[in-house]
This record gives sequence, C-alpha cells and structure tokens, in this order.
Amino acid sequence: MARNDRPLSPDLQIYRPQLTSVLSITHRLTGIALSIGSPLLVCWLIAAAAGPSAYATLHGFLASWLGLLLLLGWTFSLFFHLCNGIRHLFWDAGYGFDLQTIYASGWAVVAISIGLTLSAWIISFGMEG
Amino acid sequence: MIIKSSDQLPSVTLLKRFPVPRNFGVVPSSRIERGKTWPAPAGATRVKKFEIYRYDPDSGKNPCLDTFEIDLDICGPMVLDALIKIKNEIDSTLTFRRSCREGICGSCSMNIDGTNWLACTRFIRDTAQPTTIYPLNHLRVVKDLVPDLTHLYAQYALIEPWLKTTSPDPERERLQSPEDAEKVNGEDGKGPAACILCFSCTSGCPSHWWNGNRFLGPAVLLQAWRWLADSRDEATGERLDNLEDPFRLYRCHTILNCTRTCPKGLNPGKAIASIKKMIAERRS
Repeated sequence: MARNDRPLSPDLQIYRPQLTSVLSITHRLTGIALSIGSPLLVCWLIAAAAGPSAYATLHGFLASWLGLLLLLGWTFSLFFHLCNGIRHLFWDAGYGFDLQTIYASGWAVVAISIGLTLSAWIISFGMEG
Repeated sequence: MIIKSSDQLPSVTLLKRFPVPRNFGVVPSSRIERGKTWPAPAGATRVKKFEIYRYDPDSGKNPCLDTFEIDLDICGPMVLDALIKIKNEIDSTLTFRRSCREGICGSCSMNIDGTNWLACTRFIRDTAQPTTIYPLNHLRVVKDLVPDLTHLYAQYALIEPWLKTTSPDPERERLQSPEDAEKVNGEDGKGPAACILCFSCTSGCPSHWWNGNRFLGPAVLLQAWRWLADSRDEATGERLDNLEDPFRLYRCHTILNCTRTCPKGLNPGKAIASIKKMIAERRS
C-alpha cells in the first residue's frame, strides 16, 4: 500500500488546547487584528486632517457599539501582542524555558494584558467625562 | 493553573479540543466514522469506557472510533494494561506498539485524552471517562494505533546523530569532564541524551503538522542539540550549517507543546532555543 493512501491521523481536530498552544495562536490572531487595525488608525488621522465633518462621520462610527467593540478588541490585541512579544524576547535570549516559568509567564501575560486593556478604557472614559 | 512538570494533569479542562469542525481540513479518506461498541461483561462492577481509533488497511473502509467497555476490577492500572487486556480478551485484531512497559523504550506513545504520552506510564485512573485514544498526530496510519514513523526517522538521520571527529583517534576512548557530560545528560538526568525518541513532542507540534515535510520537529532538534552540546564532537560548524535553514530549524515558533507533553520531562523547546542562540552567536 502506497504511503499516501493511508489515512492521516487526526491532529488539530483532537489535540487538547493547552496554555502553550492557545497563547501561541492568540499571538498570531492578535497580530493579524493589529495589521487590520493599523489602516484604521491612518483613516482616523486622515479624517482628522480632512476637517470637522469627515472627523465627525468617523467618530460617529467609532462611538457606536460596533465601533467600541472593535476598539476594545484592538486595545486588547495591542496589549496582548506587546506582553507576549516581550515573553518571546526572553525566550529568544534563552530564558524562561522551565515548564513552570512557561506557565507562570503565560498567565502573567493574560492577566497583565487584560489589566492594561481595562485601565486604558477606564482612563479614556475618565478623560472624556 | 500553573503546570510544574509535564506529568501533571490539569485540574480543570475548559476545552477538550479546539472549537473547529470535526473534519476541519481532513481529506474524506481520513475521516473518522463511528465504530463498534463492545459492551462490558455481565456483572462488571467498575466499568470504564475506552474510545479507540481503529483502522484496518485490508478492509478498504475509513478509520473509525470503537468503544470498549472493560471491568477495571480485573485490569492492570495503566492504559497499556487496558490495551493488552482488550487485545487478549475482546478483540485480538487491536494493533499497537509496545515493548518495555516501563517508559524507557518509547514504543507505546499515543494520543491519550488529547495529549501525547506513553500508554505504559499513564494511569487509567488519571484518564477521562471515556478515555479517548488516537495514534500519534498527523502521521500516516499503518494500522489502528501504529503510525508510520519512516519520515521522522529520515529526519533523524538527516542530523547525523553520531560522534563526528576530525582529530586523530586517541589511544583510548575520548574523555569528557563530569561538567561536560552533564551538558548532555543533564544535572537532573533530563538532558537531551535521555530522549527515548517516542516522538510524542514532534507529533504534538502544530508547526510540524503544517510544515513537517521540511521542519525537523522538536524530537530531532533535541537530538541535534545533544550532539552540538557534546564536548567530544568536532563537527559543530558543519552541524549548524546543516540546521541554518528557514524550515529545518526556524519553523519552530516557540509554541512549546513539546516541553508540555514530553513523557520523560525533557525540554526540547529550550534545546531548540539553544541552537538558535548558538547560530546567532556564531554570526556576531
């Protein structure tokens, strides 16, 4: 029987999600979200430069519930990608590979990125009011 | 929760599998169908269910998931004991690799409850109800729980896993200080030389699933490091040249499923980082 006629054993469909793999895929997804979000930042700057009416239109969208939800997603993406990026820098330098450290730094990234996201939103709403 | 060593099982499991369709990216001939159920014998008191991946190359049918119910009161404590019991008493066609039954030969590595481990060192009492058993991930299946490891052994051969020297042969064996030996054996006995080549890590590595044709995978790279770290080996430069490749080494994205799953508690992730660091230091 030819090798490739054999079935392939299951992988992603059955492998248990673990902190290691979940944070890795989240790092990728947040990276993708950030690259989609950066043109929006450019749009915001262009609208601000174009004048009050253009700015008001964009602001109207961003202040809607959908706009706020997207902004919340992007804020979390930014902080998560930043924190996990620092974790990767330590790994690149050869530090933090004990399983216990991998898990501790992983949970720290989750906690810190959620904390930073909430702080950023509380501060920005505080500045608005 | 914080996992301290790879043999620790999570106290809570939020997700048993990633939320993707069962047949996500699976070609029709690899799809797993519902198989037979073999009910527990009458009068069994402690019934345990095992859902086991079955594939018979002679049947021409797709793989399927059979359910076996066994009485734990007349079964050994390990998952391997249950598999042997099933083969002896219920279905003699169940096929799996096993040899030493004490975690040193690396034959019975398989996917138990979603992660890779040796069937002989996993207690049945630590598994879910039902226990699900698949062959090692993303490999061609020869029969049931026996995957084809040809490609992985070829990748192992590629790193030339033997001592290479250019200096003249000494009068006696090549000596090594205890400190240098420790780099290979590990101060806790968990250095790269302790790898039993069960390929639990490589087959649990998502990067190897997607790029396994060219990425060497954690088990082989751990062995590559075993020879780079050996003070007696004189082919370090040549070995690094062989590894310095966008795929062979650098498809490792530090996911670290390897270190999480190693049944011997070794650290392939750290070994790969050490190789990357060695190449970076060589450049500067």
